[in-house]
Amino acid sequence: MTLSEGAADARGGGAARAASAPPASSVALESFSYDDDIVRKFMVATFVWGLVGMLVGLIVALQLVLPSLDFAPWFSFGRLRPLHTNAVIFAFAGNAFFTGAYYSTQRLCKTRMFSDRMSRFHFWGWQAIIVAAAITLPMGFTQAKEYAELEWPIDIAIAIVWVVFAVNFFGTLKRRRERHLYVAIWFYIASIVTVAILHIFNNLSVPAGWFKSYPIYAGVQDAFMQWWYGHNAVAFFLTTPFLGLMYYFMPKAAERPVYSYKLSILHFWSLVFIYIWAGPHHLHYTALPEWASTLGMVFSVMLWMPSWGGMINGLLTLRGAWNKVVEDPVLKFFVVAVTAYGMSTFEGPMLSVKTVNALAHYSDWIIAHVHTGTLGWNGFMTFGMIYWLLPRLFQTKLYSKKLAEWHFWIGSFGILLYVVAVYSAGVTEGLMWRAFDSTGRLAYPDWIETVVKVIPMWWMRAVGGTLYIIGMFMFGWNILMTWRHRPAVYDVPVIQAPPLPKQYVEAPHGTRPATAFGRFVDLGWHRVWEGRWLLFTVMTIVAVAVASLFEIIPTFLIRENVPTISSVKPYTPLELAGRDLYIREGCFNCHSQMIRPFRWETERFGEYSKPGEFVYDHPFLWGSRRIGPDLAREGGKYPDLWHVRHMQDPRSITPKSIMPAYPFLLTNDLDFASIQHKVDAMAMLGVPYGQAVVAGNAPKMAMTQAAAIADTIAQQGGPRNLQHKEIVALIAYLQRLGWDATHVSAPAPVGGTP
Amino acid sequence: MPTHDNDREHLLEHNYDGIQEYDNPLPRWWVWVFWASIVFALVYSLDPWHVLRGPGRIADYNASVAAAARLHPAPSGGADAAALAALGHNPQALAAGKQTFVTTCAPCHRPDGGGLIGPNLTDDYWLHGGTLVDVHKTITDGVLDKGMPNWGKFLKPEQIDDVAVYVYYGLHGTNPPNPKAPQGVKVDRSE
Repeated sequence: MTLSEGAADARGGGAARAASAPPASSVALESFSYDDDIVRKFMVATFVWGLVGMLVGLIVALQLVLPSLDFAPWFSFGRLRPLHTNAVIFAFAGNAFFTGAYYSTQRLCKTRMFSDRMSRFHFWGWQAIIVAAAITLPMGFTQAKEYAELEWPIDIAIAIVWVVFAVNFFGTLKRRRERHLYVAIWFYIASIVTVAILHIFNNLSVPAGWFKSYPIYAGVQDAFMQWWYGHNAVAFFLTTPFLGLMYYFMPKAAERPVYSYKLSILHFWSLVFIYIWAGPHHLHYTALPEWASTLGMVFSVMLWMPSWGGMINGLLTLRGAWNKVVEDPVLKFFVVAVTAYGMSTFEGPMLSVKTVNALAHYSDWIIAHVHTGTLGWNGFMTFGMIYWLLPRLFQTKLYSKKLAEWHFWIGSFGILLYVVAVYSAGVTEGLMWRAFDSTGRLAYPDWIETVVKVIPMWWMRAVGGTLYIIGMFMFGWNILMTWRHRPAVYDVPVIQAPPLPKQYVEAPHGTRPATAFGRFVDLGWHRVWEGRWLLFTVMTIVAVAVASLFEIIPTFLIRENVPTISSVKPYTPLELAGRDLYIREGCFNCHSQMIRPFRWETERFGEYSKPGEFVYDHPFLWGSRRIGPDLAREGGKYPDLWHVRHMQDPRSITPKSIMPAYPFLLTNDLDFASIQHKVDAMAMLGVPYGQAVVAGNAPKMAMTQAAAIADTIAQQGGPRNLQHKEIVALIAYLQRLGWDATHVSAPAPVGGTP
Repeated sequence: MPTHDNDREHLLEHNYDGIQEYDNPLPRWWVWVFWASIVFALVYSLDPWHVLRGPGRIADYNASVAAAARLHPAPSGGADAAALAALGHNPQALAAGKQTFVTTCAPCHRPDGGGLIGPNLTDDYWLHGGTLVDVHKTITDGVLDKGMPNWGKFLKPEQIDDVAVYVYYGLHGTNPPNPKAPQGVKVDRSE
């Protein structure tokens, strides 16, 4: 058996450290080994789910240009798009984080993981959750909150698995044989505790069945919580974990010291503290209170340098190693990853400036921004890390360095094509939506004009994505072939290190500054924190929690944030059922329900949206992207029959429409029996449902309203006997949208309120 | 070991699995830009005279609506019946009107005007007035309660004129197959 460079490095390094450990006069060395089997498992899962998630991404990209690909209810854009985002974020990036964290934490702490059984439980639990997501999302089970779509039983499973991971991780820190925690570990700590907090508080909901729930928050507050979560999912699932990986794998691969310890400290704390405030920049010009929007903007601007601190520390670590970048695909991937991180973290603050956001929000610009980050930063960080790990984990040479080089170039070219195309599409959309002609009318009043215009760019995006996926196949081939050359039995090096003494006082370094300020900037205190994992973790939680509470508490407590509109009443039982169909089909993925106070929006869609209109919206459905037009004032805009025909075949109304067809809504029977559960759950959340909560009343009320709508459709010359079908519930909901606030004196349409 | 900057850079005695760290100071430009962003954040958020933030998003919006109303006052009065009638003899206007009809009106009224979601436009029965000026007004203002959009907001004035004369002269009496049943009151044309 020939040992690879990597294995030799691991063994030699261990021996060297044992030798260089403090003179162990009285302390006996302890022997232990690292658990690399779990790292191999997570690595393979990273690749497999990465490929699946990206292929689903390609499918949804193609569905936008070829709507005939939406050929089945479970295979339509609205249900698959969340599958793509969940798969690439939680399955691909998540498993990549676990791969690197399990490998590096053991080595940085000079100990095996706290519990092998917990490691396995974490692995299999996480994969089971991914499988559950892959099954339930196409079935239409969704909470309708971006990146938090999974329904409550899966949310509970996520919380359990995450807690086991946390216990395993912190147990490892407790048992470490390295006194100080390295910066990579700081980032892992921040990620693990913050994701737990975000996940729990955004997913608080009341179940209305096994795979149906309503969040406890409504409207403005729900939107705020969701984007507090959504933005920080980007921060603490896609950014801080990968910064941790960068701090371990980049200096390892480059064999260069980290550029600046001071910069590590400052950018870590500023990033963790500032990130958590920035969520409201996803809601500029919406019904969110303006002060929250302003906070979101200024904290995003302040986030620029803390983010760039990471980029600088990464890129400057390569000083003196640039000649290696030429030869080493691992470093090439890292350089592009860190550069992409720098670009998207400049762009993020820029997009959060309100006037820029006015142009970019709802457009493809945001999609391009996200993909610079995910394809570049997360993807390439992962590829570089795994190419570096392969020889070490499989204890043999990397099968083909040349293939890895090809992967790098084809992947880079794919990213370039993808983002250039989607940026162009985004700016085109933003400009067309706001254009007026010389008579003061919208220059492109017909929504479909703005869609047709960007379709060539969407094709180019699909080409770029395909190239990136071809790179994935090369990656997979390299993994497979390297694995095939593994030794018959993996060598498990035995490492020796002395345990940490129980009592420890941080030795002063240099001379102690005289003033308090001097001691503060001297950072000796931080060295003390680094030696105490629990203190460090508590301080991280404090940083995250304080920042969160400063925004969350006023959002919930200040009454003026959501002025009441007395004409706004709860949805009728039938409308509520229709709203759940809207959620099931993922309509919110393409249609917003939030008209911003801009003349180009009010001319096109009607009166701008008010905070008081959403007080019964559990969950809020404002959306974040307009592939189709806004629906906030859809109620009463078209006759019922229009909606029947439009759902049956959107192209019969708008020939160039790219909306999926929903003919099954005309044939599926509506589940009237479940409406009582829905109404009861809503009533539990404080929605005044009055008589509708009396057992059996809700379905009866729904049937009455359904019969009236079915009559109207028949009178208008449409199909007869639709009163038991899903379509009537959806129409009831659509016809109610935006009605109450703009028809103050008129009663709600057909059926009335309960 | 580093081969450059050796005199200025100094390695800390940190060693984590072989990873070392330099004691380099924070890049000066980084510190200054960070401070600048903090100052900007304070000035922008406090901004007591609303220099940077303006009067607020709703006030901004109301101002933009008022400005647009000044710039493009709403046309007063109905359409000029004689001018419209004259347009009815202009084949170019009828052709342009037909084109607008096919793209904009056909989804609800059928390409041949026989009616589908909206009423039949080829017969003698009208829901909202059957004179040319009435048709023009219905197209311009819409019948919002019944789902007929106010096309005056979206189509240019010439387009409205053209499509009105196309409906009135081009479609009337064409007897398409399978028309929608008559709706509204019969209006006799006595020209």
